[in-house]
Parts: sequence; C-alpha cells; structure tokens
Amino acid sequence: MTSSWNNILHTALLGTGKQPLRPEELGEDLSPIAAQIDTSTQDKEEKFLQIAALAFNYRQAGFIPQRNESAQLSKPAAEDKPYCSPQAMQALAGILEEENTSLFALWLQLCRDSGQLARPEILPTLLQLGITHKHLREDILTCGGQRARWLATLNPDWSTLPASEDTAEQQWQTGTPEQRREVLQQLHKSDPAKALQWLQATWAHEDINSKIDLLRALSANAGPIDLPFLEDLLGDKSKKIREEVTLLLKKIPSSSLIGQYSAALQQRLKLKKEKSLLGMLSKTTLEVAPPADGQELSPTLVQSGIEKLSNRKEFSDEEFICYQLMSYIPLDFYTTLWQKTPEEVVKLFNDDPLGKKLIPALVLSTVHFAEPKHAVPLMQFSSTFYLDLLPLLQPRQQEYYSNKFFATSPDAIIQYSTRRQTEWGLELTESIFRHVSKDSYRYNRTFFNKIVTLIPVGAAALLDKVQSDVISTGGVGAWASISNAIRKLLQLKTQTIQAFNK
Amino acid sequence: MSANFSVPLDLSEEQILTLAPDESSKKSGKDLANPSKWVSKAISARALWGECQGSGSKPYQTQIELTNLAFKCSCPSRKFPCKHGLGLLLLSARQPGLFQHSEEPAWVSEWLNKRIEKEEKLAEKKDSAKPVDEAAQAKRQQARQQKVGDGVAELLLWIKDMIRSGIHALPGKTSGWWENMERRMVDAQAPGLANMVRTLGNTNFYKEGWQSECIEQLLRIYLLISGYRHLDRQDPLLQADINSQLGFTINQEELKGSEGVLDTWLVLGKQSSEDQGITTERYWLFGATTRRYALILQFLVRGQGAQLSLTPGLSIRAELVFFPSAAPLRALIRRQINVRELGSGRSLTQSPQITNVCPPDEPLSGSPGADSSAEGQGFANWKELTDSTTATVSVLPFDGPRPYIVRSLTPVLQGQQWWLKDEEQTLMPIKENFRPIGKVLSLGGGEPLDMALIGKDRMFEPIGVWHDRQYKII
Repeated sequence: MTSSWNNILHTALLGTGKQPLRPEELGEDLSPIAAQIDTSTQDKEEKFLQIAALAFNYRQAGFIPQRNESAQLSKPAAEDKPYCSPQAMQALAGILEEENTSLFALWLQLCRDSGQLARPEILPTLLQLGITHKHLREDILTCGGQRARWLATLNPDWSTLPASEDTAEQQWQTGTPEQRREVLQQLHKSDPAKALQWLQATWAHEDINSKIDLLRALSANAGPIDLPFLEDLLGDKSKKIREEVTLLLKKIPSSSLIGQYSAALQQRLKLKKEKSLLGMLSKTTLEVAPPADGQELSPTLVQSGIEKLSNRKEFSDEEFICYQLMSYIPLDFYTTLWQKTPEEVVKLFNDDPLGKKLIPALVLSTVHFAEPKHAVPLMQFSSTFYLDLLPLLQPRQQEYYSNKFFATSPDAIIQYSTRRQTEWGLELTESIFRHVSKDSYRYNRTFFNKIVTLIPVGAAALLDKVQSDVISTGGVGAWASISNAIRKLLQLKTQTIQAFNK
Repeated sequence: MSANFSVPLDLSEEQILTLAPDESSKKSGKDLANPSKWVSKAISARALWGECQGSGSKPYQTQIELTNLAFKCSCPSRKFPCKHGLGLLLLSARQPGLFQHSEEPAWVSEWLNKRIEKEEKLAEKKDSAKPVDEAAQAKRQQARQQKVGDGVAELLLWIKDMIRSGIHALPGKTSGWWENMERRMVDAQAPGLANMVRTLGNTNFYKEGWQSECIEQLLRIYLLISGYRHLDRQDPLLQADINSQLGFTINQEELKGSEGVLDTWLVLGKQSSEDQGITTERYWLFGATTRRYALILQFLVRGQGAQLSLTPGLSIRAELVFFPSAAPLRALIRRQINVRELGSGRSLTQSPQITNVCPPDEPLSGSPGADSSAEGQGFANWKELTDSTTATVSVLPFDGPRPYIVRSLTPVLQGQQWWLKDEEQTLMPIKENFRPIGKVLSLGGGEPLDMALIGKDRMFEPIGVWHDRQYKII
C-alpha cells in the first residue's frame, strides 16, 4: 500500500497535467476499481481525486499496527521507601504553583529527612525543575527515588542530573565542562581523595581553561589532602594556574604559603611589656617593627598578593603588611605563639591602640577560615560589633546579637539574617516586619519569597499586630498586600511541615 | 443527610481548579479558600453558600447549586465562575467541617427557586411554542442549499486546479490565497468547508511528509463535496454527517426531543483550542454501562461565561442525546441527574483508601448506576481498535478524532519516537511532541497501563490513565 500511496503523492506533487495516475500503479486490490474509474468520462482531475479517495479510505480502513517484540521499556528498581501522603503532595502542588523555590527546597528536605518519596505523577515536574535549580538536584533525586533516576535516563533533558555514581564517572569522562566541574565538586565534597585521583589522572590532558575551572571546583572544600597536588602546581608555567592555586592555598591553614605568612608576621608583630604607675604595674602592648635582619618581604609573598606599600593612611607600610598577612592567618597562630586564650588575644588587640586598628584583620581571617570558635570572643571582647561574624555564631547567639544591634544597623542585620540556616526568633521577626513595613519597595514580595523558610510559622499573628500598628500610624501602602503574600507562604509552610510530621 | 449534597465536597482541589476560567481566577480562588475571608458559610441539601468580605461595604453573596454545580455571586466580576465561587468550593473541599447544615437564607432559596421556575418556564415555552412556518423554513433552507451548492462547485474547481498544476506549488502560497477561499466558503454559508480549507492552509509545509498530510486533507474535503453532490443517494444518517460537516446546524432543542442515552459518563478529558476569538472546548466522555464514547462540544466567545463545566476525572449521571450520524459521537446533555465524583484525581486531597474510578476492566465501585461488571470495556489491543476504526471509516469516510480506551499499554521508544505497545506486542505511535510523556512513563514505571486516548490519523494522544485504581488526567 505504501508504494501505491507514494505513487498518488508523486502524481499529486507534479500535477495531473504532467503525470496522470495509472490504475496499475495502485496494487492488485485497488487497480481493478481504479481501472473502472479511469474508463469513465470524467476529467483527469476528477478521476485522480476519486482514485486517491479510494486509496485513502482503503489505507484508513486497512491499517495494521506494526509488530515489534524487541521494542521494550526498561523498568526502575523497586522503591525501598514509602510514598509521601496526599497532604504532602497537596502542599507541594501549592508550592509549585507559587513557584517558591525556598519552600520547594524545604519540602524536599523534609521529604528526604522523613525517608519518604514524592509520588510518581509529580516526578517529571520535579526533574524539569532540577534542570534550572542545580542546588536542588540531589534532593530531587533522593525524593524521586528509583523511579526518578530511571526517568532521568529516558529523557535527554534530564540526563545532566547526577543519576548514579556510574553516571557521575561517565559524566566526568565524557560530559560537558560544566557537568565535569559539578561532578568533581560533588565528589570532592564527599570523597576528596577520589576527586583528586580523578583530577590528577586527566590533568595533563586538560587545557588551561578547563584546569582553572576544575581547580575552582576544589575551592568549596579545599583541605590538607589537596596540598601535595596544589603545591606542586605552584611551579606550573601558567601564571593563571599559579594564581588560582595561590587562592586555594590561602584557604588551607596548613599550607606552606600560610606558613610563610605566619613567619613574616612573626618577624614584624611583637609583644612589648611596658611598666606603668611608677613601675608598679606592667602592661603588654603590640608593636610592629621591620624584621630584625632587615629582610624585605619575600618575592613569593609579594606574588601571592601582599602589597609592600600601604594604601591606607592610618597604616604605615609595615603595619599594612601585617594587616594583610593577618587576614590570612588563623587566630590559633597567636594563641600558640603567645600562649594566650583566644579571649586574651582579642582583649589584647582591643586594649591596644595599634591592635584596635588590626582587629578587622582578625575578623577577616576568622570569616575567611570560617572559624566559629573564634567568632564568639571577637564578638564578646571587641568594642566594635562586626556583622561579618554573625553567620559564624550559634543560632541562639546570632539571634541574641541580631536583636541587640537591630536598632543600630537594621538593614545590615536583615541582610545577614537572610543568610541564616535556622528560623528567626519571633522577636527578631517582629523587628524585621516593623522595619520592612516602612520600606516595601526594597523588601518586596520577591524578598519574602526567598526567605520565607526563615520566618517562623507562628509569625502570622505578628503580621496582624504589625499591620494594625502600621494602620494606626497612617500608612499601609504595599505592606498590606505583602503581608497577605507572607501569610499565604506561611500557610504553605505550615501545611508542608504538618504533612511530614504525621 | 442525603448523599446528594455532600457530593461536591468530595471534589479534589485539582478538579475544582479545572472549573476556573483562567489562571488568575485559580490563584485568586485559592486565596479566598481561607475561612478568615468568609463572614458566613453554610450548606443545605441543595446548595452551598457564603458571604465574602470584598472591597465593597457589603460582603459578596456567593452561592453554588450542588446538583449541577451552578454558581452565582453578587460580585461585579464577569468571569464565570468568579473567584468567590471557586474559593468557596475550594474551602468546602479542604475543610468540609466548617460548613454547618442550615436553612437556606432568602437570597439562596430565591435563587434556587428561580432556577427551578426558569426550567419549568422553558419547558412550558417549548410546549407552547409558536407553530413553525414550514413553508418559509423550507424556502430558507432551499436558498441556503443553493448557496452551499454553488460554494461546493467553486471549491471543487479550486481543488481540481490545484491537482492539475500539482501541489508542489502549495508551500509558496501566501496566507491570503488560502484565506480567500476560506472566506468564499463562509460567504457560501458552508462554515464547515471553510474550517477544512483553513486546516489545509495550516499544513506545516516545512515538515517532512507534508505531502501526505496535505493530500489527506484535500481528499477529506473532496469526499465531503462528493457526498454532498450525491446527497439524495446517501443513507439518511450519512446525510446528517455530511450536512453537519458542511456547517448546517441542528436545532438543539429539537434534538433534545430525541431518544436519550442514560448512563454514568466518565469525563475522560477536556481539550480546549482557540481560533479567531472562539474557544472550543471538547469534553470526551465514556459511558460506564453503554460503553459508548461521546463528545460534548462547547463554544465560547471571549469573555462569555461557560454554560457547561465538566471536570475531567469526574463521572456525571446524565442522559445524552447523540447528534444523528453514521457513527455517532457528538452529543449534548439533555438531562444531568447529579454530579457524582468517583474519587479519581483525589490524590492531592483525599486519603488514598477512598474508592476510585476502577480500571476499565473492573466494576466501577460506588456507582449505583454503573454496570457492576464492566468486563470488556475498552479495547484489549490495537487490533481490536483498528477493526473498530475500519468499521467506522466504512460508514463515515471523513471522520475526525475519536476517544478510545485501550488496556495494558506500555510506552516504548523506537526510532526517536514514543510508541504505545499492547500485550500482543503491536505498536501505535504517540502524537509527535507529546510533552506529558514523562507523566505517562512515571505513572507506569515500566508497567503497562490502561489508557484513555484520542486517536487521529493513526496517531494517539494519551489523555488519562488508570493508576493505583484511580483515573488520572495526563
């Protein structure tokens, strides 16, 4: 039938004016009837249309579906976790409709932590979201179970998802630069030794840009295990690679570079004992002086980014060198060197005019190495409040300091509060609501969409309280609609939490 | 309490939202599904009502008739149903316990009584309708036949010209060339032909194989023209099909006088398309007892409220009247007895143990009107389906898309295209670029599923599947 139909199409394409359709071209079933039509007195076009209509109906009526036993669909492995409740699915549907990524992440986290799975009907939507929300991919696959991993193998769009370790290795071998960087970063987090092994195996074959890209993948979790490989690369002929490696070495306190920084600082920053009150009391002060041997800053340190000349008027050149070095030296250096507790070190700096100038460098290094244990003394014993340290504190301490300093730096506190991992307390939430109700342009719906997971579910009552206060002071503006939006998000959050608490 | 009035509360959120006229209504409706927004709310055997505090000084009075899911609201919105109606229904689905059974207030009972009165008046009007001037009607009919006949002759000539010079030139034709003939057919009072010409002009000439698609549509037009030219020689039912395809309308009130088919109809799916400001809604139905398929069409002009809102996944107990046809499919609802939810699509709101729509080879539990033994519902394999389409084509050669239920189908990938394989290992292709294939795959998990499909030109589009004893819309 196919060839008969093709003959009809061929004639139709060229036109009956050029090539009439011959009945014998229609196969043995149709040609006798076509021959009868052909002998009629009608015009060529009518004959063609009648014969073609006959073939069209014959084709429609006699359609036989093709048989193929080899065409098979694989099956996913059996799930070993239960599906989540319909209530959880309803909450998820609401979240997806609101397009709220924060609540979506919360839903996935609760689903994952409760050891449940998202139901099959939603999996394609979740996998599709995994394409744009890379940070959620792992949770999506965990909550999607075996079926999501199986689905990901059936759609090329979802193939970038890290479906399994095999796929990860495959992606490392043959993936796009972006996929390779991501796979390396993930592996470096979970199994740094293996990640290094993979990287070293292909290092010689990578081009410069890939090398830089891959080195950046190590940045989030750079540690002592990476040192031999990285320090070896300090002799690389590419300046770009050396610079990238230097950045990484600055993140590892036990690196030789930080060791050189520490040595250079030790030569310049000294403790000096001074007598006061007619020699009855002694006081320890800080002193910055050029190295005793008169040696200049080594070229290695200069190349690593340490400036020799001060660009800040409050610092002399030597002080400025110390300030820069201190920004990359952990606070443990001073406690070991001077046999003092972290609190004593901070006090020492705080009580000394020169030390006061250098305290920001201690803060920078504490933030740089993310050392929570040193953040507390810096908060407690420094006369200045350093907001940068807030994220390093325990949630309760963050809450305490945020409340304490909210009135003086509300916007900065809000900015830091948005980076918190845990929910805000009600007192801080109320302060934030009150502040943002006056600045709806800056703190709009988009802002709250992003941070809704930080707002405690009990804050809905605060919204009413704040709203009535705002109304009584004569201004409502956009806050009314924003607070309604927050209420709705909180409702979804409550629904989600309750669905997984059952 | 009677089972009748608790029924709409069994609607799932998903199902209620399909009633929304647009996305913003869905969103606003959800916002209003909040008890704090409602000053009062209650339920009776016939209706659900509530007062919603809007921007006006008085709260809006929203009421929903439960038997036919009719809405009324005192708000100024032109959307139908409005956000208040949707919000109230959603709230009743989410928190049915909030609605106290009470006496209908005057504003509710008045509306309900008016509806009953209106229906009675309509029935009376029908009985006492003026006698039709048959002579004038015949004259009008004859004039139209003449016009259509002239149009048909003109279209045939146009097609023959096309065939003589070859269709190779068609991809180069401007849209104006196609629209001209479409307009000529509208002028000839043959809107059906105009639509077919438009479909022909809309052929994707950049797609490989456009020639076959184009010639098939040309032949459909030709078959219809030929049928019309020899109308008096056709079977009366085929005559009705030809007239209907040409665009002759049937008086629906008269049609409602014909014999109806009472059944519990599962709404298999809803498809909407918009063309030139008119939205066409297609509801595909399947009768549990009669095992007949039906198509209910609704045409909506932009901004106009819908008369009918059926929810995919729901079953309705109704009497349908089929339009006369050699292979009847299109129907209208003469009488709807009750809105009844069979539990499908509840996955988001109800507990999973609630009885749901059963697969087509099992009894429809919980449906008193349905055949308790639905053995044999749907086609067992593609062979059965193609035998059925062969029978249809033999009586109706220019048929359109039709719904089918086919048991145990598994999607398989072959040659970069998805196909559906039956238990006999035979395959039929899924419609190209069928985006929800992921959902079909995910629900099936590699296992065969019973599916509801729309078939057209030997391509099939899944619209629903039975999964975990629930009918789920794709």
